[in-house]
Amino acid sequence: MTRLTGGLIDRTRPLHFTFNGTGYKGFEGDTLASALLANGVRLMGRSFKYHRPRGVLAAGSEEPNALVSLRDGARAEPNTRATVAELYDGLSARSQNHVGPLHRDLLALNDLLSPFFAAGFYYKTFMWPKAFWEKLYEPAIRKAAGLGELSMLPDPDAYDRGFLQCDLLVIGGGAAGLVAALTAGRAGAQVVLADEDFRLGGRLLMESDLLDGAPASDWVESVRAELASLSNVRIMTRTTVFGVFDHGIYGAVERVADHLPVPGDKVRQTLWRITAKRAVLAAGATERHIPFADNDRPGILLAGALRAYANRWATLPVAKAGDAVAIFTNGDDGHRTARDLLAKGAKLLGVIDSRAGARALGDYRVFSGAQVTGSKGRLGLTQIEITEGGKVSWHEVGALGVAGGWNPNLHLASHHRGRPEWDASLLAFVPGQGGPQGLIPAGAAAGKGGTAQALADGARAAQAALAELALTAPQIALPEALDAPAAQEAFWHVPGKKRAWVDFQNDVTVKDIKLAHQENMRPVEHLKRWTTLGMATDQGKTSNVSALAVMAELTGNSIPETGTTIFRPPYTPVSLGVLGGGDSGPHFRPHRLTPTHGWAEAQGAEFVEVGPWMRAQYFPQKGETHWRQSVDREVLAVRAGVGLCDVTTLGKVDVQGADAREFLNRLYANMMGTLKVGMVRYGLMLREDGHAYDDGTCARLAEDHYVVTTTTANAGLVFQRMEFARQCLWPELDVQLISTTDAWAQIAVAGPKSRELLGRIVDDFDLSNEAFPFMACAPLTICGGLRARLFRISFSGELAYEIAVPARYGHALMERLMKQGADLGVTPYGTETLGVLRIEKGHAAGAELNGQTTAQMLGLGRMVSAKKDSIGAVMSRREGLAADRRRLVGLKSVTPQEQVAAGSHLFTEGAAQTMQTDQGWVTSSCWSPHLKSYIALAYLEDGDSRQGEIVIAANPLEGRELRAEVVSAHFVDPEGGRLRD
Amino acid sequence: MTDLFPVTALGDSAPRNARFGALTLSENAGLALASLALRKGQAAPAPFGLALPEVARAVTSGPHGAFWTGRGQWMIEAEGLAETDFAAALQGQAPGCAVTEQTDGWVAFEIASDTGAPLEALLARLVNIDPRTLGPGCCVRTGLEHMSVFVLRRSETRLAVIGMRSLAGSLWHALSQAARRLED
Repeated sequence: MTRLTGGLIDRTRPLHFTFNGTGYKGFEGDTLASALLANGVRLMGRSFKYHRPRGVLAAGSEEPNALVSLRDGARAEPNTRATVAELYDGLSARSQNHVGPLHRDLLALNDLLSPFFAAGFYYKTFMWPKAFWEKLYEPAIRKAAGLGELSMLPDPDAYDRGFLQCDLLVIGGGAAGLVAALTAGRAGAQVVLADEDFRLGGRLLMESDLLDGAPASDWVESVRAELASLSNVRIMTRTTVFGVFDHGIYGAVERVADHLPVPGDKVRQTLWRITAKRAVLAAGATERHIPFADNDRPGILLAGALRAYANRWATLPVAKAGDAVAIFTNGDDGHRTARDLLAKGAKLLGVIDSRAGARALGDYRVFSGAQVTGSKGRLGLTQIEITEGGKVSWHEVGALGVAGGWNPNLHLASHHRGRPEWDASLLAFVPGQGGPQGLIPAGAAAGKGGTAQALADGARAAQAALAELALTAPQIALPEALDAPAAQEAFWHVPGKKRAWVDFQNDVTVKDIKLAHQENMRPVEHLKRWTTLGMATDQGKTSNVSALAVMAELTGNSIPETGTTIFRPPYTPVSLGVLGGGDSGPHFRPHRLTPTHGWAEAQGAEFVEVGPWMRAQYFPQKGETHWRQSVDREVLAVRAGVGLCDVTTLGKVDVQGADAREFLNRLYANMMGTLKVGMVRYGLMLREDGHAYDDGTCARLAEDHYVVTTTTANAGLVFQRMEFARQCLWPELDVQLISTTDAWAQIAVAGPKSRELLGRIVDDFDLSNEAFPFMACAPLTICGGLRARLFRISFSGELAYEIAVPARYGHALMERLMKQGADLGVTPYGTETLGVLRIEKGHAAGAELNGQTTAQMLGLGRMVSAKKDSIGAVMSRREGLAADRRRLVGLKSVTPQEQVAAGSHLFTEGAAQTMQTDQGWVTSSCWSPHLKSYIALAYLEDGDSRQGEIVIAANPLEGRELRAEVVSAHFVDPEGGRLRD
Repeated sequence: MTDLFPVTALGDSAPRNARFGALTLSENAGLALASLALRKGQAAPAPFGLALPEVARAVTSGPHGAFWTGRGQWMIEAEGLAETDFAAALQGQAPGCAVTEQTDGWVAFEIASDTGAPLEALLARLVNIDPRTLGPGCCVRTGLEHMSVFVLRRSETRLAVIGMRSLAGSLWHALSQAARRLED
């Protein structure tokens, strides 16, 4: 155990956990990383490429090394940073990326082969043979490299989403963020304070500095308590704001249950979309290291992290208590760590300071003008090599803290293509121009990282934000604090021949950057892609700036001239589950159900998704083992007797107004103005470019009242287009529109016995051909007074009606029709039968109206009225369109039992099958139980004059070719006598 | 009087109710709806004594209510009259206006709570609308779980979500799941 005294852990609440199957103990307040270190466990994983032993580098979300798989079974989650995994009782974690046990990884062989694995190795080596890439190289490389593995089981947990709106979003709950939130909170603004940690305080929790003469955690607690008492402030811990999106929307993930063994009733995580008028970015800063030879051993970490582990978590990353610790620094901040460690009772070897003439801030040895030039220790640091004034010496240490300066966490301020600016006095990039509007960086994120500086800057940022919102900001009393000395020199890496790691996560060394330079991969974006520097889960938070400095040194350019790569969301990894943020399974997306859905379910219907609708596809009866049996039966029953089909899904638009007639005349290509009250007409709408758009019926219920029906697929689109026409094209017309699709349950009653069946439910209504002919419509009552609408229209080609009742009665009407029609052989049918009936009749549907076809192709060319203008009419007459010679035809397979597949292309018999000789395509096909043959609808060049000819339907995808006879598209009752009987 | 029996939008014989902690969800199957749109140049009538409201507002008068749905368009509500021909009744009150029966075009879910806070917490899980801008007497048409709905703040403690009838099941699922997750 390497526990020190103090710290912000609750020693009265021990927590038990396992790592690679071994049990350990930690305390509430620990992270997995701090608890492992406290147990003397420094080796936590293997590196990506060379399988080098690795331990923690950092103490926060920037961690590149300590990636573990958390939890087991379906809840296993790879690539979790041990530094942000909040410890809970029963936590189980495993290390990743090794073959065999962690301390004897067989793939450590890769490290010996490292001369071959330099940057660009894969690109250069696995060029050929091309076919080997997918089958051999990539699987082998992925097996050897890569991070954790997925469980391959469905995630058992739920994720949620939510929306918040606020005046001020404060990102980060450290010194600057707390003051900003308090300022805005007291001003009465709506404030959201989000912090990725499970405890507010940020860096204040990790420092020994006093605020108002007391530990900083006391002040943090007093501010937290006040913020919690304000109803206008929402504190969100365990919440990472990961990106800035358009219009002031910030994406945030709240880890609701990641710190619990299982979520129970809770969701695991929530995705919040926060719309903020202003935001303060108080995300702090990330320390950088100084690459030197063999700088990646467990036990070598950022000096600020070393300080954090000692102060907040009361532990040191040494193998055993009493091992010495050293600090390697290029500035004053390393001395701050040394001073804190001494205060914690650590044994300190001393501070190796690259600056000549550096002096100690306390009772410890300083190696001034010195560098760390090497390290030893197979699975963890045991010795470091110090070069001071040309003299080389080895020293036994258990841990080394490296302090290379701090980089402001300016990521969010650099979204929307904001470009960071170089601050030569800070030796760091700070937030620049062009970032998200309304986002104000503050504190260490703005380069003001001293405690007193950050507190004051938080207040300034909040006041600036509130002033823009015309809110009065109170001055709040800031606690008394000091800024620690922060002088440093520009010292970026220790020169040398051995490998010195820059990016630990991707195993990118100074040498790799040199190689990139040598191969002219010099622009930063090239450097990133070619070496993989700054990729993966940490996105180079601890490595990017150091890498830029190395490249700048090589090119002779300055660091700002070298520039940064583009910053994009997310700031830290976001799980796909929470981005989905909703249901999986049956509620993955909403489903529209028809009024007879429950009834159809009770009949055992099979359902099919038709856009958002669930429609009955067919109704299997006892003994039917194949869908075709059900469909053939349903088709024959309709043609012989009477069938029922719920057609509620077809769009219905109520059109009223003095100019409704004129409006519809302009909307439809065919003449609608002459439609009489009480009649229905088939209507065709064209697209603006003259192609066929949608078809349906138009019923005139009264002088100034129509109901337009659309196809199911286009119901929303047609309504939208009608609204557009009403509001934008012809606002002068008096027209009112509203959708009534859902309001009315509509049931098709089709077949020669449909009139007889309907006669049994209507109240005193004359259904005779004379009184209610084909294409008539009328309001009426049925079943003893229920208001209804009756339309005599037919999609099947039979005598048929559609009857509409208020949707709540759809279920009961279906039951009544089934009961009343039992002796007539009434049969419910689904969309499959609907399809067969309409193909047999030669009626166009979605497959024929696919956006590539014209009215002429459909055989409806003469419907486009020349007596009036309508949407698309003029364009339909343009040369290219009018000259299309393809026409809708029927095809009958020469071998009746073989299906002419939809999508097949048509060729003249004996002709070569090329694009140039292509004569059309098959749109729909089915088995016709009526004709006892496979039939199809197709577009064929000059199809209207080729009846009787045999053509070839080629299906090259499946290597099939069929001979088919060109026939009329109207396989059943081509004269249309049945409809009119 | 017809001898057919209606079913609710959720396909049941009786409206569905459920309680989740502080929140109560109820299907309002008795709510009659009809749309009212002005003809060109027509002045707004005052059907059932309702002063037809401005943009994003809702008003009530006894069992009747109206909420704004578009320029010169409102939805008129009547509690408990779903079984009547409410559109015809409204037409009588608003002669010359375009009136369309809408009762069965929609499903109305009423959400109630003892205080406003649970309602606002629920709203935050459902719609991207600032609850502070959706005070009593406000209404908005917005997206909820990929569905288009009207959200009406009937009072500090009562909220109505009116969605497409065919989506009733999906809407109930979305509302009840969000309410259940707020239970603690």
